Amino acid sequence: MLTAVAPLVFVVDDNPSVRKSLSRLLAAAGYTVEAFASAREFLTRVPSEGPCCLVLDVRMPGLTGIELQAALVAAGRRMSIVFVTGHIDVRMSVKAMKGGAVDLLTKPIDRQELLAAIERAVTKDEKDLSEEIRIAEIRQRVKTLTVRETQVFALVVTGMLNKQMAFDLGVVEKTIKVHRARVMEKMRAGSMAELVRLADAVGVIVPSAR
Amino acid sequence: MLEERLRFETLLSELSAGLIHVPAGAIDAALERALQQVVTFLGVDRGTVDVYDEGGRGVRISWALSGLRDSPHVMDADQFPWTAEQLGRGNIVRFARIDELPEEATIDRASFERVGTRSKVSFPLNAGGPMLGVLSFGSVRRERTWPAELVERLRLLSEAFASALERKRVDLSLAERLRFEKLLSSLSTAFSQLSAGDFNREVQRALHRVVDFLGVARGSLIEFSRDGGTAHSWAIEEWMDVGEFPWMTAQLQRGDVVSFSELETLPDEAAVDRRSYLAHRVKPQVAMPLMAGGTVVGGLVFSTGDGERPRSGERLLMQQLQLLGEVFANALSRKQGELETQRLRQELTHIGRVSAMGELTASLAHELTQPLTAILSNAQTAQGLLALDVINLEAVREILNDIVADDKRAAAVIHRLRILLRKGDPEFAPLAVNEIVGEVAWLVRSDALLRNVSMSLELAPDLPSVLGDRVQLQQVVLNLVLNGLEAMRPPWAGARTLVIRTASEGAAAVTVAVQDSGTGIDEKDTDSIFQPLYTTKAEGLGMGLAIARTIVNAHDGRLIAANNEHGGATVYFTLPVRRQDEC
Repeated sequence: MLTAVAPLVFVVDDNPSVRKSLSRLLAAAGYTVEAFASAREFLTRVPSEGPCCLVLDVRMPGLTGIELQAALVAAGRRMSIVFVTGHIDVRMSVKAMKGGAVDLLTKPIDRQELLAAIERAVTKDEKDLSEEIRIAEIRQRVKTLTVRETQVFALVVTGMLNKQMAFDLGVVEKTIKVHRARVMEKMRAGSMAELVRLADAVGVIVPSAR
Repeated sequence: MLEERLRFETLLSELSAGLIHVPAGAIDAALERALQQVVTFLGVDRGTVDVYDEGGRGVRISWALSGLRDSPHVMDADQFPWTAEQLGRGNIVRFARIDELPEEATIDRASFERVGTRSKVSFPLNAGGPMLGVLSFGSVRRERTWPAELVERLRLLSEAFASALERKRVDLSLAERLRFEKLLSSLSTAFSQLSAGDFNREVQRALHRVVDFLGVARGSLIEFSRDGGTAHSWAIEEWMDVGEFPWMTAQLQRGDVVSFSELETLPDEAAVDRRSYLAHRVKPQVAMPLMAGGTVVGGLVFSTGDGERPRSGERLLMQQLQLLGEVFANALSRKQGELETQRLRQELTHIGRVSAMGELTASLAHELTQPLTAILSNAQTAQGLLALDVINLEAVREILNDIVADDKRAAAVIHRLRILLRKGDPEFAPLAVNEIVGEVAWLVRSDALLRNVSMSLELAPDLPSVLGDRVQLQQVVLNLVLNGLEAMRPPWAGARTLVIRTASEGAAAVTVAVQDSGTGIDEKDTDSIFQPLYTTKAEGLGMGLAIARTIVNAHDGRLIAANNEHGGATVYFTLPVRRQDEC
């Protein structure tokens, strides 16, 4: 584990008995647990800084589990979700999986199955978290580029030659070479291949040339 | 002599003119007065008007010297064949002495001689239509002549009589027909709204009205059961056991009408019947078989006591009985049908409940899954705790308490299901409507959840209790709620709210309304939705609302469905509040 604190597990289920028993099971397994009676209640909580996952009931009055998942995705919030439901139907599970769910378990849930799913969810979240941190860092580097450097960055990762870039941007080839070297330095890329990977990670948008 | 003629002339024209203005109901009396005046004036012994109605002999109006024997009916073809024939042809019959009668009238002569008639003049009464009667003047003390001039004057009088009688006949038959139509239509209305429970009372009432109308003494309705026996009978005045009348019963069951006015005319096979009739002092009787769907379902019997006769003439009476028979036959077959369907309906109510259960399966599974999930989690957590070196007994105790509580929750779900599925006779007891609504809401809350419908209760506090069967009323609410949920099933994309509301309607009734925000009721379906096996749902059995209405009706309540102003429909039912003196 990357962090010293125990991973946080959120439990969202409208049934008090289920909420209480699942929380108890997870706490006994060493997780820090926070339980919520509805999706709306959960949405009011500030996003977790550390690794976490969500055990989410599909059927709930008001906002359903699937709708909560969609809301989190729309808000760009990282969340590993383990769905739990009394009754699985195909359409629902397809929706859940397309939305990035780690697993979908049928109630009543076996302890081993649940813990395994949560383990996977937490691992995924840790990966997502470090990726999130990495991307934030790359974004930070992109922000240090000037407008012209950003243009060169965007074009060079597409494999364009210096001469062509110079023509496109209406400058001499030598100037392009200078910008390119500044981009490699600011982005801390050791090679052209690494620069392409960085561009891929943040999804560089080509600024308008003219 | 001239003066006398003039006076007679004046008398006749006064009488004739007077009759024109006499109201139909007073015609008999007016004719009698006229007879008296004419008899007195002419110095004859007797003046008679025999009125014939459609069935044959009718009323006799006569004026005679006191102490005279009643004169015979001259239209009696047995005693007066020649006279009857003459009159029937429209001829006037007159004789000053019996031997004036022609050769062909030998029988008539003998008859007149026997009854002591010496002179007689008879005028057929008709006003362009059938023969209405005969006007006769007769002399028994002495012979007298009937000059042509007098006969002509009397003939004019007879025309005035005839038109008065015609007026009375038309008037009466019209009034009579109207009265009969009214009787028929009110009977069929009463019978068409009849439930098996009211049957006895309503049949008694109907028989009473018919007996009054026909002017007979006894009326009874016999019901034949399918196997040919007598299932039941209802009677006005004293009932005569069907067993006493084997012949009549057999005739009825064969579909034959039994009609007699004299016991002597009954055939030899009817010996048992005849004795019974004698014992009950029954004289004329009409028994009409009641047919429904090609089988005899019963019989309608009317009879009069000694010396009475039904008000209507024979032909009219038979027509009327035929029509009445249809009404009673309908009532009987309805009742027999209803008893048959009552059992069927109880079955169907059960099926309806079971099918409602089918619709609820998903939600009930959900309902049971929750406590099972909690129990499993708790049990496995406890296992984990017990595997540790240091066992936290307090934690294990808490877990066990929770397991017990959840297990009881699961058992409660099953218990409520059992109550709802219980099959048996309805038990009426005082009930709190809010409690019933609450229990159903509890049952269907997961169903609403699964269907993404927000369900809410708006229960009026302090509702008076109603008298009813808990299970049946639960089922009504359940059916209405399931229908409401169904109305908001996808592809319905609008709002999904369901409100169950209770309210008191004055001090006398309690209302339960189930309001949805779904598709509403299609205009063309408004009448049919309560019909059994009518459904607009792909998987519906079509019994939901029909069963609900049957149950509500059995509770003396009403079930009504209507579309909401702003979309969706509301189905509500009212139940009468239990009175203090009940239970």
